[in-house]
Amino acid sequence: MQEKAEIMLEGVTVTPALWNGNGGEPILKGVSFSVRSGEWVTLIGGNGSGKSTMMKVLAGMLTKGISGMIARQNAREASSGIIPLVLQQPDAGIIGATPWEDIVSLLERNGAEASTIIAKAEEALRSVGLEERMRQPVETLSGGQKQLTAIAGCMAVNASILLLDEVTSMLDPIMSREVLNGVRALHRDGSAVVWVTQKLEELRSGDRVVIMHDGEIRFDGKASELFRRDSRGEANSSIAERYGLEPPYAVRTAWELQREGILLEPLPLTIEELAEAVLNDEG
Amino acid sequence: MKGSWLMQDVSVGAGGDAKKLLLERVSAEFRPGEITLLIGHNGAGKSTLLETLAGLRKLNDGSISLDGEPLWMGRKRNKLNRALLLSFGIAMQQSESQWFAPNAREELLYSLRPYKPSAEEAERRIQAALQSIGLQPDLLERDPWTLSGGQQRRLAIACLLACEPDWLLLDEPTAGLDADGTRRLCAILEAHRAAWRGAVVATHDLEALLPLADRVVVVRRGEVREAAPAEAALALAAAAPQALRAQALLRGTAALPPEAPAQRSGGAPWPTPRELAAELARERRRGGNRGGAGEPLAEAARNATAAASDTASAPAAASDTASAPADGKPETSGAARAQIERAVWLRPDYFDPRAVVLAYFLLSAFVLYLGSIKELAVGAIVVVAAAAPFSSIMRKWWKVLRGFAIVSIILLLIGGLSWSPLAFSWAKAEPAAVKLSQLMLIMVIGMPMLELMTPLRLQRAIQQTFGWMARIGIPIHSVGLLIMLIFRFIPLLGREWERFAKLAHARGKAASRLGTVPIRMLRVIFIPFVRSILRIAEEMADALEARGYGSMPAKPVYGFRVAFRRSDALMLGLAALGGFLLLIIIRLL
Repeated sequence: MQEKAEIMLEGVTVTPALWNGNGGEPILKGVSFSVRSGEWVTLIGGNGSGKSTMMKVLAGMLTKGISGMIARQNAREASSGIIPLVLQQPDAGIIGATPWEDIVSLLERNGAEASTIIAKAEEALRSVGLEERMRQPVETLSGGQKQLTAIAGCMAVNASILLLDEVTSMLDPIMSREVLNGVRALHRDGSAVVWVTQKLEELRSGDRVVIMHDGEIRFDGKASELFRRDSRGEANSSIAERYGLEPPYAVRTAWELQREGILLEPLPLTIEELAEAVLNDEG
Repeated sequence: MKGSWLMQDVSVGAGGDAKKLLLERVSAEFRPGEITLLIGHNGAGKSTLLETLAGLRKLNDGSISLDGEPLWMGRKRNKLNRALLLSFGIAMQQSESQWFAPNAREELLYSLRPYKPSAEEAERRIQAALQSIGLQPDLLERDPWTLSGGQQRRLAIACLLACEPDWLLLDEPTAGLDADGTRRLCAILEAHRAAWRGAVVATHDLEALLPLADRVVVVRRGEVREAAPAEAALALAAAAPQALRAQALLRGTAALPPEAPAQRSGGAPWPTPRELAAELARERRRGGNRGGAGEPLAEAARNATAAASDTASAPAAASDTASAPADGKPETSGAARAQIERAVWLRPDYFDPRAVVLAYFLLSAFVLYLGSIKELAVGAIVVVAAAAPFSSIMRKWWKVLRGFAIVSIILLLIGGLSWSPLAFSWAKAEPAAVKLSQLMLIMVIGMPMLELMTPLRLQRAIQQTFGWMARIGIPIHSVGLLIMLIFRFIPLLGREWERFAKLAHARGKAASRLGTVPIRMLRVIFIPFVRSILRIAEEMADALEARGYGSMPAKPVYGFRVAFRRSDALMLGLAALGGFLLLIIIRLL
């Protein structure tokens, strides 16, 4: 594990400014949290728990009603103060009229060597599978393709950290997998990723998982700990159940197997891990 | 309520264009007391189908009726049947980002207004709706925009429920909802069905909603086909619900016998975790017989998709739907297809923007030189000839031209009238007629211009041509950026207004012509529209700042340059030739 912190928050509180002038209930309550280089963090929590606010703080987009300490590592990103944040609706974040234009202008702005820009942009678009659509007008792209465009932008400038807020929620299952796989590949190449989702089947065993509830961080640990039930396999004994999270199918099956007397180690989170665990257990 | 919803041979084109069909001869029936799911890939036409059902899109062909009553009335079938509008509620995609009112309570009351409930009745319905979707009553006084994304989505659903419609039309209702929200939504749908009401739900979330579905309709490339729930789930092959993938994978590795688990409970066409676990445990106890029978895991994973498809009982239909994801390409909507199919030289990255602008100035200068109606008539022929090759990209501007023509004629009539005695004098009207005709022709020339360049290419052309000015202190790069942003922003304004017009119909139950906002609603909509525009501008500003647009670089970097090519020279030459021909003809007249 690399110890260099990409972003560090300490005691950050965010209070929304309401129209009537009163500060309301804080959305984030003294949150301390850091993302280390090359780390994958999956951020989960119920509606209104403060996930999106947290992402905006990480991105440096919130300037009002915020207190506490925020430190960023990367010099380039620090110069503009803002890290790109990919949202459910990426429309307003795309400046070019086509994916190609968008990435090219992004690279121009980031001071890349002029002669390499086109090749770099096309390479990034190819790697997210937008090769055939890079000259298509942005407004004719599907939601997933727009997200891939935004992600390709992060790739093209070798962003050391990617912030993605429920990007798969409007996508069909195939597109969701494509986007998730694309981001996982970027992570393997060394980018840190903060991934917000409601779909727990997107978790992988090695992920660091952070649960937010009522503006606070309630859990920060490995994905496998999240679903660990006590030794008797008692229902509601895992952390996920206590926070009303819907465990993935593989986990629920493993729990049922535990009741049948078969304990799978490590606890499988995905279907593939479940099949593997069943095989190893028997073999 | 007894009747069903009937669609017969319905075709819908993008922007009413019969050549760009989004739905093609769709026939379907939706019955009360049933939950129908619409499934299909992004861009397949699910949202279009829902909006068409709700009267938010004009039909090019076919008819829609509910309980025997037509949705579209009048001789020209352009008026909506208001009684029908009140019997359903629709939550469109991104329904959560279209708020009008200062607080959540006003939003709910706005949705209720067409139903005219008494004050107590309204309050009762609001409280009931909040409770069933799980929103705290103290949120009622909050500005809807300060709610989180998931809470806004819940509020959007509450707005529908408060109206207590017979039909719920929902577009991706589970997107952005947490597990608790999804459970509540499912309970609401079940209660709705139990009351013998109907629901049509477009969704990707088969995991949550397929167990509830009575019927499933697969939408693909603007066509629909009904499918059995199990078969429909398999149609999504690689991305099928986790349970089905697990079953296929485990069978592949022989951890499960081919037909297990045989017993299934509940509505879902897949085993529950308990059923699967029981079967796995039984198989393990049986033991022995799996020595080398199974495939290695990697191979099993590859075959899992195919294995899953094999179990579908309707092979022909299943393979048809399964082939959709198999080619791996997401669907492209009708509008997008039309855009892609543009001829190369009509695309916005073909001509040098400088050539386009020069050609425009040149032709405009000739038009301004024309001094009489007779000369303008000749001018019109030249202009039409010049614009004709671009007619396919000008279509969306025709409405503007028509509007301008109508206003011009009215102005001329007024200008030419004299009161005592009442008479029309052409001599009086002619100077205005000449000016207005000139403007009209210049507009026609200008329309293709907007489509033949992108904002970024225009900016680059300005930078390349006038970049030297930066050295003498003129901030030409900032000017270029500003022009680029204005061009990028303007289309967003129009699209946002269309969204609000749609909303006026969906929530305000307006029966006026589609795409227009009824005058009585302008007052309600204007301020939220401005707010929404400011919000987009703010998001764009954030995006620009994130890209380092906060400060101007000392030396701009050009990853690409616009280049003046032979085709640009050809276009300019043709424009000049047309202009000179025009001059010669006028001299001869």
